[in-house]
Amino acid sequence: MRSLSRLGVLVAVAAIVAGACSGATSSPTSAPTTAPTQAPPSGSASTAAQVEIDWYHIQNNDPGKSLWQKLADEYMAAHPNVKIKLTVLENEAFKTKLTALLQQGDVPDLFQSWGGGGLRQQVDAGLVKDITADVASWKDTINPGALGMYQVDGKQYGIPFDLGLVGFWYNTKTFTDAGITQLPTTWDEFLTDVQTLKGKGITPIALAGKDTWTGAFYWAYLAVRNCGKDGMEKAVTTGDWSNPCFVKAGEQFKQLIDLKPFQKGFLAAPWDGAGSSAAAMATYNGAIQLMGQWLPGTVNANSGGSRGMGEGLGWFPFPAVAGSPGDPFDGLGGGNGFAVGKDAPPETIDFLHYLVSLDAANRWGALNSGILPTTVGSEPSTTDPMLSLVLDGRAKAKFVQLYLDQATTPELGGAINEAVATLYGGKGTPQSVVDAISKAAAGQ
Amino acid sequence: MLVTHVATALGSRSRTGRNLRLMGVAGLFMLPALALYALFVLLPIVQAAHYSLYDWNGLEPLNQFIGLANFERALSDPVFLGAVSHNAVIVVLSLAVQIPFALGLALMLNRRFRGRSIMRLVFFAPYVIAEVITAIVWSLLLQPDGLAEHFLTAIGLGDLYSPWLADPDTVLVALFFIISWKYFGFHMILLLAGLQGIPRELEEAATIDGATRGQAIRYVTLPLLGPTIRVSVFLSIIGALQLFDLVWVTTRGGPVNASNTMAVYMFDRGIVRFQFGYGSAVAVILFLLCFTLALAYQRWVLRRDTDGATTYG
Amino acid sequence: MAEPSGASLHITARPEARVRVRRFAASLARWAVLLAVAAIVVIPVVYAALGGFRDAPQLAADPVGLPNPWVWTNYLDTLTDPAFWLQLWNSTLVAALSTIIVVLFSALAAFVLARREFPGREAAYTLFTLGLLFPVTVAILPLLILVRDLGLQDNPLGLALPEAAFGLSLTIIILRPFFSRIPKELEDAAAIDGCGPLGFFFRILLPLSRPALVTVAVLAIVFSWNQFLLPLVLLSSESNWTLPLGVTNFSTQYTTDTARILAYTTLALVPALVFYVIAERQIVGGLTTGGVKG
Repeated sequence: MRSLSRLGVLVAVAAIVAGACSGATSSPTSAPTTAPTQAPPSGSASTAAQVEIDWYHIQNNDPGKSLWQKLADEYMAAHPNVKIKLTVLENEAFKTKLTALLQQGDVPDLFQSWGGGGLRQQVDAGLVKDITADVASWKDTINPGALGMYQVDGKQYGIPFDLGLVGFWYNTKTFTDAGITQLPTTWDEFLTDVQTLKGKGITPIALAGKDTWTGAFYWAYLAVRNCGKDGMEKAVTTGDWSNPCFVKAGEQFKQLIDLKPFQKGFLAAPWDGAGSSAAAMATYNGAIQLMGQWLPGTVNANSGGSRGMGEGLGWFPFPAVAGSPGDPFDGLGGGNGFAVGKDAPPETIDFLHYLVSLDAANRWGALNSGILPTTVGSEPSTTDPMLSLVLDGRAKAKFVQLYLDQATTPELGGAINEAVATLYGGKGTPQSVVDAISKAAAGQ
Repeated sequence: MLVTHVATALGSRSRTGRNLRLMGVAGLFMLPALALYALFVLLPIVQAAHYSLYDWNGLEPLNQFIGLANFERALSDPVFLGAVSHNAVIVVLSLAVQIPFALGLALMLNRRFRGRSIMRLVFFAPYVIAEVITAIVWSLLLQPDGLAEHFLTAIGLGDLYSPWLADPDTVLVALFFIISWKYFGFHMILLLAGLQGIPRELEEAATIDGATRGQAIRYVTLPLLGPTIRVSVFLSIIGALQLFDLVWVTTRGGPVNASNTMAVYMFDRGIVRFQFGYGSAVAVILFLLCFTLALAYQRWVLRRDTDGATTYG
Repeated sequence: MAEPSGASLHITARPEARVRVRRFAASLARWAVLLAVAAIVVIPVVYAALGGFRDAPQLAADPVGLPNPWVWTNYLDTLTDPAFWLQLWNSTLVAALSTIIVVLFSALAAFVLARREFPGREAAYTLFTLGLLFPVTVAILPLLILVRDLGLQDNPLGLALPEAAFGLSLTIIILRPFFSRIPKELEDAAAIDGCGPLGFFFRILLPLSRPALVTVAVLAIVFSWNQFLLPLVLLSSESNWTLPLGVTNFSTQYTTDTARILAYTTLALVPALVFYVIAERQIVGGLTTGGVKG
């Protein structure tokens, strides 16, 4: 597999070099796209000095890995004075590595960022570049909700390239078999459906207890519903979680937990891999899962053969909570983006612009890999029907709350995940959850 | 003047001369190890102790001095205290179960019989295996519909099965089982080596005098094995206190912190949650705990044996 | 105390058959226990190896079953991937470096700690044992800065040195009792032949202590082979990666290919196990003479 992708890159590069002077970029593997609106300006840098850009990203598997490589190669071909040095790491390894790099002041020029509180920490330490002025001319080409996640105190420090939404994925066949004909639109309807499934001997929900961020989704979404945009923003920015809407969220989550809807052994289940909640869903051991847009891909990877799942998934947005201030279409989600290091050469931002250009975004969308590009106008390029469902939800959301463990600092985020875990682990109460979070927030 | 004094002393046969010469030789021999050790082990320890006095997230400059506040925080955090209690449980279980088990096996393997070498090989193998595989494989074996459940059902004990790793009440014991799987071979080999240093004739003499095999073991072999057992116990205690890799990869300290250990807590708070000052304080606490235990152990237990060192000119 | 002849008469007077049955039963019981333990030890390893022949859907659908169909790509892709062999080479290089350093330095130190009495000896020994009591993970950031300042970042030596440093404690603790058992007479004889302490060390002590040295070498190699955090932080180029880092390629932000991981880690296990098998003969024989005395 690896050698094939390298061959593919070589072919692509050859094709690009052959057609470099035409000003248009075309590659043998991309889906039919409209004429690119951003072509790498060629021939303009022949006398400029040599520049090296240090780039770290986490799309360490294909097809994403090759696409990033291709884009880098295209840019380098068009800018002979720019050399892009790529380092590709797996998600968790990257986090550790970045910590080490930042700690010794070795900030990469362009690196993976999830925005929110983690980015804020880096800003406070003076490690990232304020690019507000540099991107002013083109920032409107990016989805504003996503863009906001990479702002700190109104200033821009990074650019997103992906924003997904968390929603309920469900097994369509199971629902039909259980006689559920209408998707739930309110929390109470949802609880009823869960009970229906349980009554028919079907495990209603697959949950990854070991990866506590998955369970936190439920609590966070209920908080978004009950507190609304203003309530959430206030809590996240001021560290004041005393609003009773948070306790209410816990109480509603507890209603679900008390129905005992999760698969056997869920507390030790990881999110992916063998024995995971994704695998559980793939083998009909969990009809519903609250998860981000990447779920279908993972479920497909875990299924196959006669007992597998195939494409039988559907999606519905998180239900509304009757009588709550939150807009029923508000979302919870997050994505990926790039931050610019404090010592980055100015070419970095131009390169970044190229990476999120409409053409690049369309090519990403066409991969249907779970990355939902945030460049305005790129939505149609995603052809996968399930991912399109998520995109619809994203389009309807006037407000998207960034995952709580990324919106806040890593410290508070960890505390939130841990506190919510006590609820479904049977050791906490809705009030104790909020108390724990408040305590951790006070320690900031 | 001083130089001539030293030179004369070195050349003479006096006590001072000998001491100086000894220290010279000793110093030279120990120099490489000391240099490496001081640079890569002692220095980081001292720096970690330094960090522990600050509120620091690893990114900003080190400038928020808070004295012992981190230590107070750790010692009053129920999650940390819970972790300490879990370590204590593991220590007790290791001493009560692992060591006797390893000892029993070593005694069995001490007699000559066919296939003995293969057995020794097999039992040591888990020690060689990386923690990551151990965690993945055992998680798979113990999960619902896994090998453990199938096996118990096959022998009619299906009701005994429960997803032990997923239950806060049983996860610690399940983890202990996995830890034992990985490390018992190490202790067994250590004890086996000690056993092979005990001349056979002593045991045989006892049996000739009318003792049963069990009595021979109890009154002859075990006392002679004492020093080895005490070293094994020491390494076991320290290992139990520092437990990290296996726990982190298998359960991450969960579910709901039920399998948290001090080192896991330190890594989670200190590195994952970006609180290096706090994490360093936890590390210092862990270190002091181990150090105190090590000192106490050396003073009261190991003192009985000669330290394994002799006194040659 | 009975006289020997009386005692043997006493013993032979018992019915031989009963003794033989008892011995047989004991032997059987012993074998049962050993086999049971061996099974518990071996089955997970076999499971891991077999898991590599399946794929994710198989693992999800039936965690326990045998590969059906047998998936060869996991193992084959790994074996044909040049990155795997490069990582294997890097792991070997780093393990070799750190083992040679730690064994040599520890032996030198253990020699004087065992055979020379000098003021401060016990204090020095205690100082060396401190390394056992401190978790490596906390030292990681100061270590990184140090390695970088020495100009050894992204360099196998920069990885080998800290690994060796942390292995000094256990190695010295194990070597000291062994070295102390070499008879003084040998040292005296060497001195008469004009051999100083260094000569004695290299020409007599080390060769005689080979089993002990192999022991600590195996422990050092195993330690280095399985390190993940240190290489992750101290190395940067993918061309310098060691085997544990290579595993991360089979996980992404959103997926984890367990079957591939199992295949890869089984293969990564093989060199370490092979080395252990070769060294095993030396180990137990060697741990013998050192013992931790009686």
